[in-house]
Amino acid sequence: MEVLGIFRDIATAGQGVEALVKAGFAEGQITSLTSVPYPDGVLVPGGRRSWWRWLTLAGGLVGAGAGFGLAAGTAWLYPVQTGDKPIIALYPTAIIVFEVALLCAIVGTVVGMFLEMRLPPRDKRLYDPAIAEGCIGISVTVHAGGEVVACGEAGEAGTCIGVVAALAAPEQREQAEEIMRQAGALRTRTE
Amino acid sequence: MGKLTSPYRWGMVIDLDRCTGCGACVVACQAENNVALCDKQQIGEGRGMHWLRIERFWVGTYPDVRVRFLPVLCQHCHDAPCEPVCPVYASYHNPDGLNGQVYNRCVGTRYCGNNCPYAVRVFNFYQHEWPPPLADQLSPDITVRSRGVMEKCSFCIQRIRRAKEEATGEGRLVRDGEVQPACAQTCPAEALVFGNLADPHSRVARLARSPRRFQLLEQLGTHPSVYYLKGGGREHV
Amino acid sequence: MSDIPVTAKSAGQLNGELLSSLRPPSRRWYLLVLLLGAVVAWGLFAFAWQLTHGMYVTGKNRPVMWGFYITGFVFWVGLSHSGTMVSAILRLSQANWRRPILRAAEAMTVFCIAVAGLFPLIHLGRNWTFFYMMPYPNQRGLWPNFRSPLLWDMTAITAYIIGSSLFLYLGLLPDLALARDRASGWRQRVYGVLAMGWRGSAHEWSVYRKASILMAALIIPVAISVHSIVAWDFAVTVVPGWHSTIFPPYFVIGAILSGVAAVITLMIVIRKAFQLEDYLTPLHFDNMGKLLLVISLLWTYAYFVEVQTTWYAHEPIEWEVFSFMAGTYTVPLLLMLIGNALLPIVTMCFQRLRRSIAVMLVVSLLVNVGMFIERFLIIVPSLAHKNMPFVWGSYAPSWVEISVNLAAVAGFTLLFTLFAKFFPIVAVTDVRELEVLQAEVPLGRAKLPAIVGEE
Repeated sequence: MEVLGIFRDIATAGQGVEALVKAGFAEGQITSLTSVPYPDGVLVPGGRRSWWRWLTLAGGLVGAGAGFGLAAGTAWLYPVQTGDKPIIALYPTAIIVFEVALLCAIVGTVVGMFLEMRLPPRDKRLYDPAIAEGCIGISVTVHAGGEVVACGEAGEAGTCIGVVAALAAPEQREQAEEIMRQAGALRTRTE
Repeated sequence: MGKLTSPYRWGMVIDLDRCTGCGACVVACQAENNVALCDKQQIGEGRGMHWLRIERFWVGTYPDVRVRFLPVLCQHCHDAPCEPVCPVYASYHNPDGLNGQVYNRCVGTRYCGNNCPYAVRVFNFYQHEWPPPLADQLSPDITVRSRGVMEKCSFCIQRIRRAKEEATGEGRLVRDGEVQPACAQTCPAEALVFGNLADPHSRVARLARSPRRFQLLEQLGTHPSVYYLKGGGREHV
Repeated sequence: MSDIPVTAKSAGQLNGELLSSLRPPSRRWYLLVLLLGAVVAWGLFAFAWQLTHGMYVTGKNRPVMWGFYITGFVFWVGLSHSGTMVSAILRLSQANWRRPILRAAEAMTVFCIAVAGLFPLIHLGRNWTFFYMMPYPNQRGLWPNFRSPLLWDMTAITAYIIGSSLFLYLGLLPDLALARDRASGWRQRVYGVLAMGWRGSAHEWSVYRKASILMAALIIPVAISVHSIVAWDFAVTVVPGWHSTIFPPYFVIGAILSGVAAVITLMIVIRKAFQLEDYLTPLHFDNMGKLLLVISLLWTYAYFVEVQTTWYAHEPIEWEVFSFMAGTYTVPLLLMLIGNALLPIVTMCFQRLRRSIAVMLVVSLLVNVGMFIERFLIIVPSLAHKNMPFVWGSYAPSWVEISVNLAAVAGFTLLFTLFAKFFPIVAVTDVRELEVLQAEVPLGRAKLPAIVGEE
């Protein structure tokens, strides 16, 4: 379950996040939805380490192999002598390897990016078109509730005290909505 | 060159001191190889189809003027610039050292034509046709090329093939003089001599060792199979 | 950063203004599309004419077997360097004035390289067998020859088309989400699918920013290699005048020159067509003018180096090519020197001229006229006077070649016009991001930037 609060500007949104954290929500549960990128930490901490850029390298390596296969492999499969040049010629092979490697690295980057973003999403997620017009969305992911949540990846020790997570899901939701409305949210949406 | 395992390395010697510029070789080539007939306009546009041309140069100033002839055909280079640039292997090197051209592979990029320093490659700009009686003398041994493909002198590869088949059938190598392309066969002055350069005793190999020999655009390092003979100190005679 | 005027507009206002190009088209737009479509149709007719008749309908002959088509190819590949130059390089160097123009430049790259890719196919003697050049297991049992520079071309252009399309798409992603939120009906569905469910969460933005920088860094070597390979088509041959080691860097510089000039032209057109006077200010033209000046100086240097080495060596056949060019194509040669060197170098030295839209339009157009001539003068004179004087020739384009080249211009413009109507042509998010970055907070009597240290 997710609760989305729509704030008019960055200041109120910041207060909302602050209040949520004070009330016991973990940083890992809260994220911001904005139509313009804000530096990490303006609303929520970001920049956790991730592996997706290895896909660029992997793409590059796969591409280099494919390029080598194309240039050298096909020449070797069907050797035709031309102009006293070697069948597997170094210079053309290097060019093809370079091109295909970069192509696959680019494709790998885009694929990795989408994988890391988990886009396109499998199910419909909460959103509000007002975000496009400059409003700030603060989204709180509500846990199933009833158990203490272990400290999440993004949350620092001590921030995920589990007080909120111990509550039942509907209660958590109400609490989040209440806090955000008090902080100045224009409206909240739940799903 | 070293990789060729064939006992043949076909080559030609053209003795310019013997050439009279009669043009018989040009006609013979045309007839043998189904080379298209071009009209005045096509040739004027620079779209003639000659596989073999006789270049004519005037040497000296009037009244001491001499005319010089230079028959130019595909030089069958060993380091042929035309071959590696072809994207589809239409131009390739055959084991006998010939510079082959596979018409049905050709897509017509004309890159080979640009990169041939001797400008001996001709392109089928037109869909050529042979007027009625002439169509009957088209050789069945060779493709009639469609428009859009590149073609050039093949050293009459159909004749070489036949001679090689006969020799193989008899379990021997092709003898010197057994095969010659139409141009060499026709030359009344015997200015054109064809043979196997790999055999040091062949006539062509002996002539190619002549001190009068030179090659066209030698400085480009294309290593042509065609040698020219000229001079002997009588440059301006 | 600081010299860009801060416009105090709300996000909604900005969205409205910058996405104005997405409004339903006017009658003039339809008229333009119709006109461009007609020119493209004429070009298709000319191509069909060539297809059914044979290559003799072009001006080509022996020895000049490449002509206007390859000129067009090299020219369009050159133009395609605009997007990479403006977008990727300026992104990496964190030049903020790139923001309003980067989308147009990236789109231009994609369409230019697509148009360029058609030329080698149009120019084939047997166009219907173009697939012989593609590497796939086939019944002919033959793979293409990767030793041929044409295959390098094909690989590089494929890489560049895909790479630059992805680069364009990556930049579009947040804007597509924006367009999705503002649109309705079928447009909303299309944008929705293309936006991939983008919400702009903090994590998405963080990944997105890293991906943008990475892509910019990856696309630049591709762009440079593409034009180097196009130069190698000529440089690796034994044709006098083509066989020159300076060609790859010289071609890359020429490509960037024509690319930058084309972006300036495009900026002027977009500014006028979509009333973006507030976003494409004389300051942007000033910066582009400086860039043009630098590249033009570089081009002049490269050209000088090429000519002077040939002149000094005076190798007979190479010098023959140059003399033939200067003698037969004197007027184009002078036009090229004026358009590529004299005019941009003289005018772009002055701030007043750099900030004058009219001057920029004239200069940028003439640079590209000059660049087309430059490509022509590289290709044709060398072929016309190759090593064997007996087969020297000449070349003039036929109506078919001219029509196809004109149709390429129209086709590019048409693609661009359609793109501008259906997709955000100004990078809205990037422009709005700048507004955020430039926001100031009062501290005592001073005002300080709210965000320091970020891009």
